[in-house]
Amino acid sequence: MPPPSIIWALVVAFAALIVYLSSDFVLLLLLSATVAYLINPIVKIAESAIIKRRVAVAVIYLGIGVVFVITAYFVFPRLRAEVNTLSSNLPFFSQRFDEAVDALQNEIVANYPAADSLFTTREVRYEKLNNFIEQQVADLPALLSHLATIVLAGVLIPFFSYFFLRDSRRIVQFVLDRLPANHIETSVAVWCEIDRSVGRYLRGLAIEGIVVGAAAALGLAILGVNYPLLLGVVTGLANVVPYLGPIIGGAAAILVTLVQFKSLSVIAQVVFLYLSLKLLDLLAIQPLAVGKGNDLHPVLLIASVIVGEHALGIVGMIIAVPTITILQRIAKLLLERRRYPTYVLDSRLNSDVQLQTYVC
Amino acid sequence: MARWRWLEQVTDQEQLLRLKLLGTVPLFAGLSRRQLGKLLVKFFEKEYLPGETIFMEGEPGKALFIIIAGTVSICRDLNEGEELLATLTTGGYFGELALIDDQPRFASARAAEASRLLILYRSDFEDLMEGQRTLAIQVMGNLLKTLAGYVRRAQSQRNGRNSMIVGQPPATDKPGMASKSVTRD
Repeated sequence: MPPPSIIWALVVAFAALIVYLSSDFVLLLLLSATVAYLINPIVKIAESAIIKRRVAVAVIYLGIGVVFVITAYFVFPRLRAEVNTLSSNLPFFSQRFDEAVDALQNEIVANYPAADSLFTTREVRYEKLNNFIEQQVADLPALLSHLATIVLAGVLIPFFSYFFLRDSRRIVQFVLDRLPANHIETSVAVWCEIDRSVGRYLRGLAIEGIVVGAAAALGLAILGVNYPLLLGVVTGLANVVPYLGPIIGGAAAILVTLVQFKSLSVIAQVVFLYLSLKLLDLLAIQPLAVGKGNDLHPVLLIASVIVGEHALGIVGMIIAVPTITILQRIAKLLLERRRYPTYVLDSRLNSDVQLQTYVC
Repeated sequence: MARWRWLEQVTDQEQLLRLKLLGTVPLFAGLSRRQLGKLLVKFFEKEYLPGETIFMEGEPGKALFIIIAGTVSICRDLNEGEELLATLTTGGYFGELALIDDQPRFASARAAEASRLLILYRSDFEDLMEGQRTLAIQVMGNLLKTLAGYVRRAQSQRNGRNSMIVGQPPATDKPGMASKSVTRD
């Protein structure tokens, strides 16, 4: 029988191979685990009322289903109308974008004649835009093959997350029962720290995304920009990407504004809206939603996002922060033992307990 | 009748028993059923075989332990052997100082027989305290009273007196504590 270390190494290698070969399925499981994580606090509230976990999970999922149906009834028709309008306008997009850029260029040159030398000619711009659109059309078959995965994910994610939620206590108990007794305190302490910081981060991200997306939709509707609901959804979803997310959301809104109004002043208002949203996010939403989720140094935070982007693209950027938080917590806990001076252990030499001689 | 049957179907009976046990622990005295429920979901459960070490003296403390079943011995290493400080049974608790800080344990804990323990980690406890001020005040107050009791008992042992302070009855053993001397782990 090989030693335990060899067995564990083989298990880890096998798991890495499975992850490499079926990365889509692993991503599906990760997303399901994330959904389960987000809903877990509600389940814990029900458990604290001594309700059986499986009953609580079933009722909560039913509730989520009802909320989803109500939201779909009121919001989806409007969202679908915006998507239909957008797709019907798309063939004329390049022409309208060209006209908009021309109008903007003329407005800037009229106010600042020196800026004329900065702009390219219309022909060069048109050629670049057509090349870009052709490249996106060429990538369409690959996009469509991913579409089937996305639709399947919409069914599988709730399915897997339901069972993760229902059986998570049993899974944790299974692992606990197999951990050696002398390692359990440190191992589970590490898990508790990770659970606390990652849970806060994920829940904070979800709340942030919803609030920022809703505020963006409202702001754009007030400004009279087309497709406010769709842009709000894009802004909210893009917000999960650190640093780049707000820029993606803002760029989409600016593009729509440019094509619709062809005016610098309205674009400036949209830019101001998104800057205000970012400020509100930093000052109010993040502290309330995420709180003291992670205490990472800003340099470490940015470095992890850059490394994540190089490794796994957008997905890497999203998982970079929780990953580096986990590694930091593990390192901190494992190095704790080395913190204490040896004189504490040498106190074994004296059997008397060292106490103050007088206490009231 | 039908209503009670429905309640039985929905209620987790095992958790209910644990809740009742938690209510008897002096550290959580004065907490409402709702507060005890919020505390209970933070606990992990672990079985220990006879002789298994729960934690060693000198290790950083990270958790509080409550005995659901079995017996646990609290010992201190001496040069010439081991000193048994206390033997705890069902309902007893130990490692409470880990809820305050992560200083090294002053004693070791070992399962004297097959035991089941509830474990509360400091990070989970702090998480709960952040959102539940009344719970935090009550538990910390109980912890301070416990520590004050240890200090007075240690003082009286040091001064060679059995009855401690005028007006205070002698310390009686609480349920689950077969005997408990100075255990500041």
